[in-house]
Amino acid sequence: MINPMELTGKKILVAGAASEIGLAIITQLRQLGAKVVSLDKPEGNHLKILRNSESDGTVFYTFDIYENALIEPNLNQIIKECGVFDGFVYCAGIGGVRPLSFTKGSFISEMMNANLYSFVEMVRCLSKKNSLVNGGSIVAVSSVSSIKGLKSKTAYCASKAALDASVRCMAAELSGKKIRVNSILKGWVESDMKKDFIKNNMDLNENDDFKKQVLGVIDPVEVANTVAFLLSNATKTITGISLILDGGYTL
Amino acid sequence: MINPLDFTGKQILIAGAAAGIGKETAILLSRLGARVLLIDINEDGLKEAASCLEGSGHHLFCFDLSELNEIEPKVKEIVLSHGPIDGFVHCLGVRCRRPLSMITPKVLNEIFSLNFGSFLELVRCITKKNNFNEGLSIVGISSVSSQKGGMSVTAYAASKAAMDSAVRCLAKELASKKIRLNTVVPAQINTPAYTSFLKMNAGIEDETLSRQYLGMGEPIDVANVIAFLLNTSSKFITGSSIPVDGGFLSS
Repeated sequence: MINPMELTGKKILVAGAASEIGLAIITQLRQLGAKVVSLDKPEGNHLKILRNSESDGTVFYTFDIYENALIEPNLNQIIKECGVFDGFVYCAGIGGVRPLSFTKGSFISEMMNANLYSFVEMVRCLSKKNSLVNGGSIVAVSSVSSIKGLKSKTAYCASKAALDASVRCMAAELSGKKIRVNSILKGWVESDMKKDFIKNNMDLNENDDFKKQVLGVIDPVEVANTVAFLLSNATKTITGISLILDGGYTL
Repeated sequence: MINPLDFTGKQILIAGAAAGIGKETAILLSRLGARVLLIDINEDGLKEAASCLEGSGHHLFCFDLSELNEIEPKVKEIVLSHGPIDGFVHCLGVRCRRPLSMITPKVLNEIFSLNFGSFLELVRCITKKNNFNEGLSIVGISSVSSQKGGMSVTAYAASKAAMDSAVRCLAKELASKKIRLNTVVPAQINTPAYTSFLKMNAGIEDETLSRQYLGMGEPIDVANVIAFLLNTSSKFITGSSIPVDGGFLSS
């Protein structure tokens, strides 16, 4: 049987790997035959699991991925050691609930830095010669927040919208090398639920918001499937899109 | 290696399977292990498509889907003979270039009947109790013209926008039965329909094609996305319209 989503022989860089979604992505990509190079900050909840996965052949790098100045030298080193990549996944980023009255410039900058600047800097480095193959694929994990008005999420939503806008422009700019760039607008994923319920009870709307997802809360594996789909040859004519994966949330 | 697009044991109904995207989808699904039930008005075309299929258990049905009142008894007959449906793809429609002055009520009705009416009626019948299996997924073929303005495509564009809108509503309405609906949104795809469309409009520059910066799409590109949407790999994607457009919508 043919396998249109197989990634045999492809080398994929995954930034933000030490998260529940990141781990699901790495697992799925490896099960589709890809070689994965994972990347994240030196501290994080899932670092231990990630380090254990090294035994399966997943190569793992750490540096502060939100420290813009560190990105170029570190990526240069990674490419030198691992070779040219066929795909890049950005599933890093930070969330944040803050009412407008407290949304000062510094908070917006923090949000933009993690959700936009790091992504753009990484793609800038990968777009240089001998870093990402012609015909390669880039996937950014964004959010339905990018297209919805949500209370107390001005900075977060703006940062995701900025991410999607950058994806469209990069898609146009890198099309000459047939490099595709797309984002996924995910709704409530099971791993988000644990974070938000524990940390943020101040906005009552949050607790019922996930009920808008008529198909239920999303399993991280589903995000991984969609990432794999966009990385594969099955989507060779898809670029510049924001694919909605939200169990009906935005309907 | 896993195969997220395995359709073993699944039965997929394809309306408009004799040529173009419908034919390519039928062939792809057969290669992914599905049993395919093909409907078209063109008997020779159906037989030709059938000769390209892999595997067994496929069946052909030749009838005119613009006769909307004939659809209910036909669907009943198909399910009675072959069992409930796991997936449905609507691939038929008329595309025509008509300036407003030529869109008489009769012409508008014909276009809407075939492009949208047959879609809605088939969905209405297939989603009746006992006609489908759990996890039913439905895919319609829309068009970038449903979202962008174009000259002399008013009727066609409106019929596709109607399909996108209906899919959003039905995604919500049928979510409790775990039925998913989505559309794929192609720009110019290299099919017989496009070739004859070009002939009809010889000399007029195809503005759409010049803006899909990854170039002309092939039917297999659309078929791959349809397969993804039909499979449980996309089980949290519903009510969405996925562009398969070489970058057109973002450009």
